[in-house]
Amino acid sequence: MEHDMQAFAAEVRSFLDAHVAKAPDRTAFTWGEGDDSMAYFSSLPPEEEREQVRRAREWQRIRYENGFGWITGPPVYGGRGLTPVHDLLYDAIESEYDVADTGTLSVIGLGMIGPTILAHAAQPLKDHWLPAMYRGDAIACQLFSEPGAGSDLASVTTRAVRDGEDWVLNGQKVWTSVAQHSQIGLALTRTNPDAPKHRGITAFLVPMDTPGVEVRPLRQMTGGADFNEVFLTDVRIPDNHRLGEVDGGWTVALTTLMNERATVGSEGAGPVAAALSPDRLSALMRATWTWDDRALRGRLAELLVDVLATEHLNARALRKLHAGVAPGPEMSVSKLLYGQNLTKAAHFVSDVLGPRAIADTGQWGTYAWTELLLATPALRILGGTEEIMKNILAERVLGLPKEPGIDTKSPFRELGGVA
Amino acid sequence: MSVGAADESELSELRSAVRDFLEAKSPEEAVRKLMESEPRYDPAVWAQLTEQLRLPGLAIPEEYGGDGFGPVELGVVLEEMGRALLCAPFFATVVLAAQALLASGDAEACARFLPGIAAGATTATLAVAENSGSWDPALISARAVRDGEGGEGGWRLTGRKSFVIDGTTADLVLVVARTVGGPSLFAVDGTAPGLTAESMETLDATRAMARLTLDAVPATLIGSDGSGGRIMAKVLDFASVALAAEQSGGARRCLETAAEYARTRHQFGRPIGSFQAVKHKCADMLVQVELAEAASREAARLAAEGSPDYPVAAGVAHVACSRAYMFTAMENIHVHGGIGFTWEHPAHLYFRRAKSSQLLFGGPAVYHERLLDRLGI
Repeated sequence: MEHDMQAFAAEVRSFLDAHVAKAPDRTAFTWGEGDDSMAYFSSLPPEEEREQVRRAREWQRIRYENGFGWITGPPVYGGRGLTPVHDLLYDAIESEYDVADTGTLSVIGLGMIGPTILAHAAQPLKDHWLPAMYRGDAIACQLFSEPGAGSDLASVTTRAVRDGEDWVLNGQKVWTSVAQHSQIGLALTRTNPDAPKHRGITAFLVPMDTPGVEVRPLRQMTGGADFNEVFLTDVRIPDNHRLGEVDGGWTVALTTLMNERATVGSEGAGPVAAALSPDRLSALMRATWTWDDRALRGRLAELLVDVLATEHLNARALRKLHAGVAPGPEMSVSKLLYGQNLTKAAHFVSDVLGPRAIADTGQWGTYAWTELLLATPALRILGGTEEIMKNILAERVLGLPKEPGIDTKSPFRELGGVA
Repeated sequence: MSVGAADESELSELRSAVRDFLEAKSPEEAVRKLMESEPRYDPAVWAQLTEQLRLPGLAIPEEYGGDGFGPVELGVVLEEMGRALLCAPFFATVVLAAQALLASGDAEACARFLPGIAAGATTATLAVAENSGSWDPALISARAVRDGEGGEGGWRLTGRKSFVIDGTTADLVLVVARTVGGPSLFAVDGTAPGLTAESMETLDATRAMARLTLDAVPATLIGSDGSGGRIMAKVLDFASVALAAEQSGGARRCLETAAEYARTRHQFGRPIGSFQAVKHKCADMLVQVELAEAASREAARLAAEGSPDYPVAAGVAHVACSRAYMFTAMENIHVHGGIGFTWEHPAHLYFRRAKSSQLLFGGPAVYHERLLDRLGI
């Protein structure tokens, strides 16, 4: 297995070497030079964002044409039929290179929705959409969360009602990343309110240009709009766009959620990686004349221990991957720590900055940190709240029992959630 | 640095051999009996640990009679010893004393003392801290003067040392004392005239500590005159990584004990682990343990490779493991509730070990600055 991994890694490197350059060293920096942005969420003007999506599609097409577009996918759809470990290893190696950020396509669409279509869709739907997605032509979004269904996703109330060969969808989805760029969305709908909540849900693939689909940007607390609300009003979807059985949509949703990809090593990319570097933080303390403050130094040391130990955790998971071993709980732990470390860093830095964090003095590398500060609350919520992540760790790794709940047995209608 | 390097499957074989041995020889009853007796260890178990598993010699170079493995293999052993709260002079002998000898670069002294340590025949310790408990070389006040009676290169030591691990039982005591050249390392025979050792009452009774009084005790210089500060710094990095392994093993044991109890203890008609307040506590413990274990094992790996990142990693491991062990030991008691607060329950033994390990080399007040120093900040 280890030999197989080495051969695969070599193949990945030769592909990347042929197409792109190595990424510049992200940790090296000189105080006062370059971009001091600390944005976690993109805050690009629309035309630049469109250009970024174009570059992402282009790089995905190159990956696909060279056999790296869908590493775990079946060869009949241009996949390689390899393991998730190969996939993670590819990501880790690619993060050393200067490639277009394909997050718009890959995080939700290729990582989560593609495998769900493969597992649950009818043949013609698979034949049409899977190659289009993995070639970079079609972007997919996840029409899951609703105002009344966040952590408790199974309580969705968007209705789908059968009408001849079609279904008619009505409802509201929220927190929909990349909906504004998407060609298709995977929607969870309520088809049987008289069944218990997990057993009355049906999943549909919704072409986003269907009449009645309206995408509205949702402005978040950072000021930007990275998410959307999606309103579905009398949206008519043919039955052949259904995934899984009627009322069997929870199984479909679980496939999507289980494919939520953990990444190793690649979390270090982007401007926020710099936020956590010892050099950057100590330079900030020198520039603000706080480097000899004992209380702040103690907190700096604590923060750096979290950051560097998390790096060690990631490095060890990565070495397991190279040896062909699937990482254990390190991945979920690392995800939890990532949000916690950035939160700690943002608050530590604001305390170092003092008044410089409440009004922009124009000094390089100071007020820019407020971009990260304002993003940190999201890091403990998105992709599963901290509380949900802890439930998962405690239940799956430590074997602690689930919380008993009566609402898995009563008809959904009686739970008071139906509009 | 190390001659041997075990692969993953050899490491897990080593781990299960040590775990089986300790489950048989150092169960809770044995720990409780030893922590209230003198000496604070069982010489028979120490002999078996040498004969059956060759543990004292594991990380000593082959040229000095050891098996030539390194910090990674030693780390596996220490994780298991920390897990079992083994009462034995292993940390003082194999980590502190043997590493001080190796760090001194004094081949003659190594050849004289290490084979006995590797063979389990000599127990040893390192006496650095005085009443302040500090490992700062500037604060060493014990003095060494040349022996006036014309002994060949002989010295006489005078002063006091505290917090000396296994100091009442060690056959060989390495002492840092000040000469005109600065802090220097000396070897003192455990039975030397003028040396008195008295037990200190300790928060953690599973790790014996002594106060030594030296009154013109004959001693031999180890390494060069004035090199004690450099030797202490090297030993401290190594000992931080070794202690981190012990701590991460202890922390994982606390996590396992707490999770086991949360799965089986019922209140309000359901296992307490199904309540999120308890479940999330256990998840927090898991996160700390995973982080600590990664930091400790990675530091050992970097030490074995002689990497320039090793001193920083040693500092990170020391803080991460100190923190994780204290947190899990404390929360383990809390998850157990009242029963966890009883003398009969082993939870307090881990709590005591966790706090005393965290403070052994100075605690947060010191280890934060030491890490920033290693980072050049």
